[in-house]
Amino acid sequence: MNRRIALRHLALISGGLAFIPSCDFSSDDILAAYENLKVTASQKQLLGAISDTIIPAGELKGALELEVPDFILVMVNDCMNTENQMLFSAGLTAFPDFTKNTAGKKFDQLSTKEKEDLIQTGIDLKPAETPEGEKDKAVSYFLNTTKRLTMQGYMASEYIQTEVIPYSLIPGPYNGSALISEIQKSRING
Amino acid sequence: MANLNIRNKQERTYQAIVVGSGASGGWAAKEFGDLGVKTLLLERGRDVKHIKDYPTTNMLPYEFKHRGKLPQAVLDENPIVAKCYAFGEDSEHFFAKDAEQPYIQEKPFDWIKGYQVGGKSLLWARQVQRWSDYDFEGPARDGFAVDWPIRYKDMAPWYSHVEKFAGVSGNRDGIDTLPDGEFLPAYDLNIVEKHFAQKMKDVYGDRHMISSRCAHIHEPRPEFTAQGRASCQNRNLCQRGCPFGGYFSSNSSTIPWALKSGNVTLRPDSVVHSVIYDDEKGKATGVRVIDAHTKEVEEFYADVIFINAAAINSNAILMNSTSARFPNGLGNDSGVLGKYFAFHNYRAGVSASYDGFMEYTTSGGRPTSGYIPRFRNVKKQETDFLRGYAGGFSAYRGGGYVADARVGMDLKNSMLNKTPPDGPWRVGSHMMGETIPKESNYIALDKDKLDPYGLPTLKFNVAYDDNDEKMIIDYQEQISEMFSKAGFTDISVRDDHRVPGLDIHEMGGVRMGKDPKTSMLNGNHQLHAVPNVYVTDGASMTSTSTQNPTLTYMAFAARAAHHAVNESKKG
Repeated sequence: MNRRIALRHLALISGGLAFIPSCDFSSDDILAAYENLKVTASQKQLLGAISDTIIPAGELKGALELEVPDFILVMVNDCMNTENQMLFSAGLTAFPDFTKNTAGKKFDQLSTKEKEDLIQTGIDLKPAETPEGEKDKAVSYFLNTTKRLTMQGYMASEYIQTEVIPYSLIPGPYNGSALISEIQKSRING
Repeated sequence: MANLNIRNKQERTYQAIVVGSGASGGWAAKEFGDLGVKTLLLERGRDVKHIKDYPTTNMLPYEFKHRGKLPQAVLDENPIVAKCYAFGEDSEHFFAKDAEQPYIQEKPFDWIKGYQVGGKSLLWARQVQRWSDYDFEGPARDGFAVDWPIRYKDMAPWYSHVEKFAGVSGNRDGIDTLPDGEFLPAYDLNIVEKHFAQKMKDVYGDRHMISSRCAHIHEPRPEFTAQGRASCQNRNLCQRGCPFGGYFSSNSSTIPWALKSGNVTLRPDSVVHSVIYDDEKGKATGVRVIDAHTKEVEEFYADVIFINAAAINSNAILMNSTSARFPNGLGNDSGVLGKYFAFHNYRAGVSASYDGFMEYTTSGGRPTSGYIPRFRNVKKQETDFLRGYAGGFSAYRGGGYVADARVGMDLKNSMLNKTPPDGPWRVGSHMMGETIPKESNYIALDKDKLDPYGLPTLKFNVAYDDNDEKMIIDYQEQISEMFSKAGFTDISVRDDHRVPGLDIHEMGGVRMGKDPKTSMLNGNHQLHAVPNVYVTDGASMTSTSTQNPTLTYMAFAARAAHHAVNESKKG
């Protein structure tokens, strides 16, 4: 048994949660994702800004600080079929035009509220069956995918699962008739 | 392939050889070890040592690169195994990939395989219900397959024997269709499941819903401590291998026990080519093994051979064991080898809502759920199809974050503060239907197409029939009616049209029977024509009934191992 597993095992048996450094993406994975998806430096920055609008920093860290954009790109690169990757990339590429046409400014010139409105508008787009609708379809797919992966990457981050809502490998014995009123948790302010 | 039998024959001779280290092979090896029989346990896959070789078992969600999801490339390369519900980023290393063993689907069949020490016992769903005489007497009463040469009384002590060692949790429910066993305390049903169970008793009398008996340690006992196993921690991460040994697997239980006896030698990476039959002696003398890495062939010898390679490969080994005496496969005088192959019908499900007990939910975890024992055609024939089905059952309450919250702080706070459940309970059942073994459902070898080990490729001709289709409709109707009588609403039925195999309950092809003209094995699991060869896994099943079959294979293996030892004492 290696040290890491031994430590974790010990921690489990004693009922605690061990803090053991996790393996995260290697820089190679991230670089491969940028290369395969042909993401430019400015697109990377834009994706960061979008994910940080979806889950902004507040009392708790936001998506950008948790490097969620890297997670998004690795997931798109590794876990999506080519067709969806192309749709995602097309949406990312079309997003600046969509921003200009919808909000009249560049994304980084918008207020927080305007950024949220813009992204929400893009998420809710109902693309028409026209050539213009094809672009909307890509933008909508890109934003919905980015939202979903931002949520996943944020909630399944080491930060959230150790410092905010500690994850337990041992959920405790089953209670099949738990009163909802008795298991309310205290509120977390994001 | 070089035949390098350079080592002394003596060194390669044992009293018993067990082919396969899954649930049934592990049991044969354990019994032989306990009985002082020098045994070689062969496994085609790599070694997986308890705890040490469970690389993901204690990983936290954020430590998985794709948070549990498998890369597209893995899914594209493995269209068959990717259909299995348990195949994920945390467990893919315990599944044989599609390219490992190509096969021919003359009719569609999803063959899910676990090629490593422990086999699929690392991956199974751990549900262990005994058979009763309603099951063993099924073929004789209903006129299909052949009569089982054994009855419940033959198996009852062996069910007890394996349950005590493996650890089985359950209630003594007193239901004649599902005999009680040696149970540790059961896992609780939740408030809605209990409501359903009570309603079924009230409305039907003979329909039940129970806490499904499962191979989990729910109470510490010295016999588990002696195996190095501790109580189940309700992690529900069983497919990763359990560091506590909380559920039964060969890896946590029978294999380390067998090795500790000093009588058992485990040889992984050993793909069995065939059983060696000696025409002069009139018996099997050993097995030919292909080294998984070097592809070299080596022979091992023993007085008794147990074939526990999992149903499909046990068939394949016998088919590939040809000799002057048995040109059509070892022990295949009857011509039934590979035929009467069957499975469980898992196609259908029913789900619904329940708006009672709204102030309750569940907390914590449990390793099992509810089970509806077969109620159809039990005491008499009631329908226009043969046999019946069991059902899984569970109730759960939703809750969670509002995914459509507006992006920004609204979404963030919604995710961090899961809403308490406000919608109704959801309930669901899935079907576990008996299929009727028939000659036209068979597997066979294609000796012109060879797999990566140079072994003949298997071809599958297994399909549903009208009986299965009628049973699906009846299951949907009956469960819907039961849900309705329990006050459930919003009832919907499904048929996912999955192809055979994904149930991972493949059975038959080397069936037991009384008559050597129509069956392969006798009531002791010996080949009629080659009594020193035993088959005690799914291949030996004469009929399928509805119960999850692994417990029965484990009991078969233990019983047959004792039979083999008693026979050898007789000389």
